[in-house]
Amino acid sequence: MWFFRSPSVVFGEDALSFLNTLDFRKIAIITDENIKKAGLLDMLRKDLPEESESMVVSDIPEEPTLSDIKERVAAVREFAPDLVIGLGGGSSMDAAKSIFTLYERPDLDIYDITPMVKLNLRNKSRLILIPTTSGTGSECTWAAVLSDEDHTRKNELASPEIIADYAILDPALVRKLPGGISRNTAVDAITHAVEARSNQWRNYYSDIFAEKAMELITRSLPVVLKDPDNLAAREEVHVGASMAGTAFSNSQIGLAHAMGHSLGAHFRIPHGITVALYLPQVVEFSETEAKDSYHALMMKMPEKYRKGNLADSLREFFRDVGQPLNIKDCNIDESEYRENMESLISLAEESTGGVTNPREASSSQLKILFENVI
Amino acid sequence: MPKFPTQEWASEYVEKLNSNPAYKDAGKNWEGDITFVIRKDDSFDSDAYLYLDLHHGECRGFKFSMDSSVVPESEFKYVGKYSNWMRLINKEIDPIQGILTGKFKLEGSMMKIMKFTKAAKEMVSTASTVNLE
Repeated sequence: MWFFRSPSVVFGEDALSFLNTLDFRKIAIITDENIKKAGLLDMLRKDLPEESESMVVSDIPEEPTLSDIKERVAAVREFAPDLVIGLGGGSSMDAAKSIFTLYERPDLDIYDITPMVKLNLRNKSRLILIPTTSGTGSECTWAAVLSDEDHTRKNELASPEIIADYAILDPALVRKLPGGISRNTAVDAITHAVEARSNQWRNYYSDIFAEKAMELITRSLPVVLKDPDNLAAREEVHVGASMAGTAFSNSQIGLAHAMGHSLGAHFRIPHGITVALYLPQVVEFSETEAKDSYHALMMKMPEKYRKGNLADSLREFFRDVGQPLNIKDCNIDESEYRENMESLISLAEESTGGVTNPREASSSQLKILFENVI
Repeated sequence: MPKFPTQEWASEYVEKLNSNPAYKDAGKNWEGDITFVIRKDDSFDSDAYLYLDLHHGECRGFKFSMDSSVVPESEFKYVGKYSNWMRLINKEIDPIQGILTGKFKLEGSMMKIMKFTKAAKEMVSTASTVNLE
């Protein structure tokens, strides 16, 4: 027995206007300062139901911590919304999921957000997530990543009950996304697709979403990077990233995420760069256990990137779009990286991604994988 | 060959767990005890309990009984019906998916055990290596 879970998805041009059709009266919007500055909060507010009243939490930091969430939930409780909207990248949407949960259930500890605990949410409000980057997939997943206070660990919180009621994918929100962020977030989505398709928990549904995501993103990301105003390509990457999120949410992440989360906790590097850095290594390591999955994914890539196996095809693609393939290109000091090796391995071992990867890695194998990107 | 669940099975299981290098590696930072609770069903007519004292990748001691009152209280309990335990041992159910689909229940700190999913998986893999009657 297994499940397929997904929010209702509203996508395409003018998707934001769907908000107008909803009957909510008090709306809490969770976002960050950059989204506000970019004018995306104003875009959203124009489409809120006319009779509604809204409050905004606009100071969600990048990679929010547990206390960042606790500090902000009080104001939301006082406002007592019937709808919580998360607008932004992974940080804002994961914060919205966490705030929504603690608003609904003040008695819960944030660590109760696990699949084993019945949360009984949605007694006060509903949750809508609206991504302004194309990569995290958080709008479609049942996971939220929150950092420890000292940012030395990323906690993977997960519960099917924190899946959004609606995910809204409007390409207008990513039209002005800078090239670097477009790339860093899209390679995260590619990693989601690859790990979902090859994972030990893969299934009919996750396979289909992962393959389509791979096709859309690898076809259109290079177009977006050369022609940022190409809205059709933007939409393909945006929808593809969301599909990759749906894929891994219904399957699992793998070793590249376990390693990437560990690297991200030690060095403040964008999440997408960290997971994609290890992806070709992990694919090479897992090849014997996931041959068919990897072949199917490679065949979804544009022909010019196909190099006989998925690991080399990914390297070719990453080189073309400018994704780093070693720590030097991520501006990580080699000696500092080596000094942190034991801790990098130890944190990676604590992630569920290592257990569900097509091939499990021992501590010594993990060390080799970490060293292979020096 | 021992029958599951019996004292003989438990004894052989612990022996195999302690000689499994993958478990030793995955559980090297683990401190805490766990009880496997096997609930009776149509195929098995009594509850059974296997208490395991686990410390840094080693099982320091165990207690098997059909009587819960003689088994020490533990930090964690992994609870399921006998028929589901058999499916788990035969690798027809993944230990984590077993929880997510309601076939097993885990009692104890979820955040703590979620950091040791690899060790948990090795514990189940080891159970699969004990030959059954």
